[in-house]
Amino acid sequence: MLLSRNHTKKLSLQLFVVVAIAMVFASCAKDYEKIPLGQQMSIDLIFDKNDSAGQYAIEFLTNTYNDALFNGHNRLSGDYMDAASDDAISSYTGLSNVEKIATGAYSATAVNADDIWTRSYTAIRSATIFIVNIDRVPLLEKLSDGRPARAAYKAEARFLRAWTYFELVRRYGGVPITGDSVYQLTNNITLPRQSFETCINYIVNELDAAADSLRGEEQVNSANYGRITKGAAMALKAKVLLYAASPLFNGGNIEDGNALTGYTNYDKNRWKLAADAAQAVMNLGTYSLMHNYTDVFTTQAEPIGNNTETIFWRQNGNNTSVETTNGPVGYTSAGGSGRTSPTQNLVDAFPTTDGLQITDANSGYNEDDPYANRDARLKATIFYNGYSWLNRYVQTYDGGLDKPGGTIQQTKTGYYMRKFMGSFENVQGSPVYSNTIHDWIFLRYAEVMLDYAEAANEYSGPGDDVYNVLYALRNRAGITLGDNNAYGLKQGMSQDEMRDAIRNERRIEMAFEEQRYWDVKRWKIAEQVYADPLQGMDIQQTGNGQLYFNKISVLTPHFTAPKMYLYPIPYSEVVKNANMKQNPGWE
Amino acid sequence: MKKTVFFILLFFAGGITAYAQSLQVTGVVRDSAGPVTGATIAEKSMHPSMAATDNNGRFRLKIKSNTDTIVVTVVGYERQEIALNGRGHIEVLVQRAYNPLNDVMVVGFGQTKRITNTGAVASIKADEIRRIPTSSVQNTLAGRLPGFFAQQRSGQPGKDASDYFIRGVSSLNSDGNKPLIIVDDIEYTYEQLAQINVNEIESISILKDASTTAIYGIKGANGVLIVTTRRGKLGRPQFNFREESGWQAPVRTPKFLNSYRTALLVNEAYKNDGLTPQFTQADLDAFKNGTDPYGHPDVNWYDAIMKPYSLQWNSNLDVSGGTNSVKYFVSGGVFSQNGTVRDFSTNNDGVNTNYFYRRYDIRSNLDIQATQNFSIRLDVTARFGDINQPYNENVVSELYDFTKYHPYSAPFLNPNGSYAYAYDTQDQLPTINARIATGGYSRQRRTDYNTLLGFTEKMDFITKGLSLQGRVAYAGVEQNTLNLARPYDFPPSYHFDPTDSTYTLNTGTSSGGYTLPGYRTIGNTDIKDQRVNMQLYLNYAREFGQHHITSLLLWNQENYTDYKNAAAPQKFRGLSYKIGYDYNQKYLLDFNVGYNGSDRFDADHRYGLFPAIGLGWNLKKEKFMEDILSAFSLFKLRASYGVVGSDVAPGDQYLYQQVYVQGANYSFGQTPQAQGVIYEGALGNPNVTWEKKRSLDIGLDMNLLNNKISVTADYFHDYRYDQLVTRNDIPEILGIGVSPTNVARTVNRGFDGQITYQDKAGMVNYSIGVVWSYAKNKILYEAEAAPRYPWLAATGHSIGQTFGYKFIGFYSADDVADASVAKPTTAIPIQAGDLKYKDLNGDGVIDENDREAIGKPNLPNTTFGVPLKISYKGLDVSILFQGAFGYSLALTGTAIEPFQAQFQPIMETRWTPETAATAEFPRLTSNPTTVNSPAVYMSDFWLVNAYYIRLKTVELGYQIPRKLLPFKINNGRLYLSSYNLVTWSNVSRKYQQDPEVQSNSAGDAYLNQRVINLGLQIGF
Repeated sequence: MLLSRNHTKKLSLQLFVVVAIAMVFASCAKDYEKIPLGQQMSIDLIFDKNDSAGQYAIEFLTNTYNDALFNGHNRLSGDYMDAASDDAISSYTGLSNVEKIATGAYSATAVNADDIWTRSYTAIRSATIFIVNIDRVPLLEKLSDGRPARAAYKAEARFLRAWTYFELVRRYGGVPITGDSVYQLTNNITLPRQSFETCINYIVNELDAAADSLRGEEQVNSANYGRITKGAAMALKAKVLLYAASPLFNGGNIEDGNALTGYTNYDKNRWKLAADAAQAVMNLGTYSLMHNYTDVFTTQAEPIGNNTETIFWRQNGNNTSVETTNGPVGYTSAGGSGRTSPTQNLVDAFPTTDGLQITDANSGYNEDDPYANRDARLKATIFYNGYSWLNRYVQTYDGGLDKPGGTIQQTKTGYYMRKFMGSFENVQGSPVYSNTIHDWIFLRYAEVMLDYAEAANEYSGPGDDVYNVLYALRNRAGITLGDNNAYGLKQGMSQDEMRDAIRNERRIEMAFEEQRYWDVKRWKIAEQVYADPLQGMDIQQTGNGQLYFNKISVLTPHFTAPKMYLYPIPYSEVVKNANMKQNPGWE
Repeated sequence: MKKTVFFILLFFAGGITAYAQSLQVTGVVRDSAGPVTGATIAEKSMHPSMAATDNNGRFRLKIKSNTDTIVVTVVGYERQEIALNGRGHIEVLVQRAYNPLNDVMVVGFGQTKRITNTGAVASIKADEIRRIPTSSVQNTLAGRLPGFFAQQRSGQPGKDASDYFIRGVSSLNSDGNKPLIIVDDIEYTYEQLAQINVNEIESISILKDASTTAIYGIKGANGVLIVTTRRGKLGRPQFNFREESGWQAPVRTPKFLNSYRTALLVNEAYKNDGLTPQFTQADLDAFKNGTDPYGHPDVNWYDAIMKPYSLQWNSNLDVSGGTNSVKYFVSGGVFSQNGTVRDFSTNNDGVNTNYFYRRYDIRSNLDIQATQNFSIRLDVTARFGDINQPYNENVVSELYDFTKYHPYSAPFLNPNGSYAYAYDTQDQLPTINARIATGGYSRQRRTDYNTLLGFTEKMDFITKGLSLQGRVAYAGVEQNTLNLARPYDFPPSYHFDPTDSTYTLNTGTSSGGYTLPGYRTIGNTDIKDQRVNMQLYLNYAREFGQHHITSLLLWNQENYTDYKNAAAPQKFRGLSYKIGYDYNQKYLLDFNVGYNGSDRFDADHRYGLFPAIGLGWNLKKEKFMEDILSAFSLFKLRASYGVVGSDVAPGDQYLYQQVYVQGANYSFGQTPQAQGVIYEGALGNPNVTWEKKRSLDIGLDMNLLNNKISVTADYFHDYRYDQLVTRNDIPEILGIGVSPTNVARTVNRGFDGQITYQDKAGMVNYSIGVVWSYAKNKILYEAEAAPRYPWLAATGHSIGQTFGYKFIGFYSADDVADASVAKPTTAIPIQAGDLKYKDLNGDGVIDENDREAIGKPNLPNTTFGVPLKISYKGLDVSILFQGAFGYSLALTGTAIEPFQAQFQPIMETRWTPETAATAEFPRLTSNPTTVNSPAVYMSDFWLVNAYYIRLKTVELGYQIPRKLLPFKINNGRLYLSSYNLVTWSNVSRKYQQDPEVQSNSAGDAYLNQRVINLGLQIGF
């Protein structure tokens, strides 16, 4: 068939329209971006080969600090770890997580609130990424003594990783060590647990390797104040070795022959290693006890402030949270939720001003005026009835302003926690709390001294060096020297007597610093300590102001030995990983 | 060839008759769409002369007999007889003949007929739902479409749109079950759909199987809901006006105890807890006798705050019509729904703090025939929705909440007219009427714009039946919130002490001081996004004798950009192809394939191929079945099988990429200062790709007894795999979270269908039907860590299975004393009357290891609808019963727990030593964490295996006789319609909420509303 001319023209017009439209559509159609828009940060940008300032790399390390170091203040769902020990209970009106720990209400499937398994491996991964990548970054920064800052940063990450392993080991025993591997999904990550010994050796080696590259106290300046120093690595090594030498792991393994839960033998020399490591910190000469005990917790460390005692801490900034969370509840203008209720057991551990335990007939302790003439550290640690605070007396008698009764959260023991707070004793007017430094101190010099005293006493008995540690602490606490120049201590104690003295000193010196909870375990005395109900004080005031003190039971802890000496590995970890062995008693 | 012969014969016949009479009639035959080709025009006589219309619908007929009437017949149209009355030229408008087998259902990029369809499609004409008094179209579909599951979670004006799913759910990915919504071939969101005025809708279909959804490929796995809007038809302008007013009241009004009965229970609970009872006998007497309305108030706050009913209005006006060159449908609508809170405003400041919804819709759909072969379509629509609610108040929630106020907390107003406050609660909030009156509002305005520009080019010049279409569509949404509020939230309120007639100002944390500061405005943009969609497709439809072929080749691209969050655009692109073939409507074949991709996935895993096949066999058309199937007009078996996908991925937009997150969380420096930090985000999954579903559907379509009975039934078996879930079987020593991985698998099976019977008895036309849907899914694998005990595993159960304790009675005093009876470890020791649970692992302790699968998921596995219609002359009634079975519901907190929820009658059936045998509620306690708390210890005591049956909609209509209508009105209809008129449910035995409310919630959603609505519709 022949097409007419007209028809051809029409056809070509139609084709033209079609093609034109198709072209319009096609021109709208740009291709997808090869790289997606939005998030553009990559590992190569963080550890940038061209960044001589290493900005992102250092920010990555800063996050590792955050992952590895927790803020111990009201850490466990609002409570101090110590509220799970015999030193305190939670004032929370419901079932608090620390109470669950104290009463053993946890299992491998319902892990306790202090289970840090997941967050620890996050911190370890973060530190490892930094360690294996930082050498790519051409950092120019030098420390004030001319050493390269890059080595110091890398050593900080190694320290943080070692610290995290220590936190794991004291909870679970031996754990898997990932070393310098950064695992991907495609890797086999069904790692077995390493023995306790391997873990301790790994931590100690890492700390030794890190120590020399870290800043000395003198290289800290105002910009990097808060970073890990050499002293911290050495003091942590002393602590790790002390734990390793302790009865729970050294000779008291909860399962004979189980290398995961401790050493399979007893070796006295482990105490020597611990004592030597503590001695090495003392020999540095960098640290010394502060003159005033309460200032230790609210003063910045040297060389920024005049705190000569703190060694390793998490910097938290200035706030009022410790005061408002734990302060007595009756101060309406200042606020106070009274979260922590110290026990009578802790109060009774403080000696009188002449250094004698209150059970001592010569101590001068008066049951009707129980807080008079006591070790000054009691006043620095605990609010008791009649304590002068914010321009009035604390009232923890029944119906008093700070123990009003009813359903609100308030003390369950007649005491509130005072430690870590600023000095608000005499604030006038309508008092409020002001911002105070609330860094969380992991290691301070008093602990190094006590670590030394304990290890030395165990290794070689109570020599002068051991006594001197207690003298120094008691002197600082304002205990009178006494007739025998021994701050109330008996001269010529046996090793066992000295052990008890050191343990009590450790308890009162470092209450609420996350020591007691662990010490009770590593000394393997938990089944005795938690055998009896914890005590509080019920105080009745009569119309004429007369006070009557009655000890009451406030909580019955529960400790199943030996399994509760270690935490269960989270059950899900055991099922996900055929090589993961559960701790004894938690299967 | 046959045709040619016919025309030749016709020509000769015409030629012969021309000699006989030489009369001639010319004319045009049209239908609503345009000229009709091939219509036969014949004289009404024994030996008629005949003519046929040409391509333009024109004909020329010689009249040879002396009749004056001609007959117009076209296949598929109603036969028409026309009296010429001497005219030489006539214009004939023919109407499509109704044959249920030719019922058209809209599917993706086309249509299908009941007789030739091979897929699982359910369809509804919008006239059936247009007069249902609810603002959201998805609320009208429950019980009407087989395979459609809906749950209306809330009745709040403007936020009452149902959640819905097609054939239940099958993805573990929480966003991965939402059906694709297509309006006029353009993708919409759930929220956009809820904004559409039903008046603009022509029809709604849901596509359920692979055969019908494969064309959507990577977006088809959750089923597709297709909406088409109305378009203009040839003819003079037809105006339609509809005006409705409705009364709304809650489906269920919660009942709370008064002060006296509450106080009794409070005292009892305190006694149980070892606390001093709060009220003395004198207090109780004062509550009981009402002697001290200010010192001992007794306020029914629900009644004080809520109106018994509120009003809604709906007005719609549309005009449609068309000429040969332009057809139009233009409409506008206003929907207004008020809230149920009373008006407390005092100073007439014009501030409306109540809940309300106002929506204004406009639409213009134009079809322009530019040239003979080229037509243009332009659709423009805008929707403006305003949702108002009290600023910072959830009124309904608060009415349930015992911690905020008690019936004796405060008088409604103090004697001097000042506001009171909940003196005896921790928050000490001013009374809710005070806060509503003075608190201002939060007003959210949503604007949706859509435009669609399209063209069709007929390309018969290349080959007959070929056409090219293109579309560009734009959808923009902008949602802003304007808050009118005061600088601080609370008005001054006073506590009145009747003993000394003093007023004490509220000085607590909720105090507002002595004055009420002025309002100020705070604005915010909530949503701002745009979606641009382009489509270009070639259509081909042709018949070769008994062979019918249709085919479509589609190119489709979409770009979605969220400007509010400045997110990277999301892109989608693909090609689809479908071909349909049938032989004499007897053997049917459909093949569909989508090849498309989304940039959420890495370049290597971006495009997927999604093929599906549908087969049908029309047995009725077989000679050998004629006798057996003599009662049937349709008996068709069909089956489809194919693979479809879903690109919905949880979490980050680009899961394949390793992300690093920046923040600030650690301090260094002498002056502590938060330092910038960077940390590793969840491990990227470079292999992430779409989810897939292998879908089998077997169906049966039957019409019998002269089409009086129509049956559609489907069985389906969907296997969904490569689902994106976060693996839980990776040891935590990896040290980092992982992105979702394509590992999970589920199976979803069920059947759905519809039976309709329609008949007439004398002047009465009636129909009755049943629509049912059943879908049950099972998790085959979801990479869960093996739990401690097998009964804790989610694998093997349905998606959304509730786990909880098994209730085995109340603890007796003996149980409490008996150490061998298993008890939980709680701070509060177990007491007699506490709920006792089964110790599944037999370790003597009730703990999380004793939880097992209880009840069913919250989404019903069975829904049904029973539609009934009766009409007699101008009167008609239509009714829909809708129900759901096979789901579970439990509420917690402010819904049911003592001292969190207001005390309610069920709490009076509590356990006491005296009522131990008949108790239906555990002992009362003020402690929120005991074993009796469903929030802490979910159990089958709290979980109701629920069902409901609703008289969902009723419509009574009266067609006003034409002669009674004034002016030029040619159509008038009065009707009374209702929504959620009656509800029967076992949920109400325990909970004072609607049976469709979200499970495991506080059950304090805005109550679902019952609406009774009077309407008038006129056409002119």
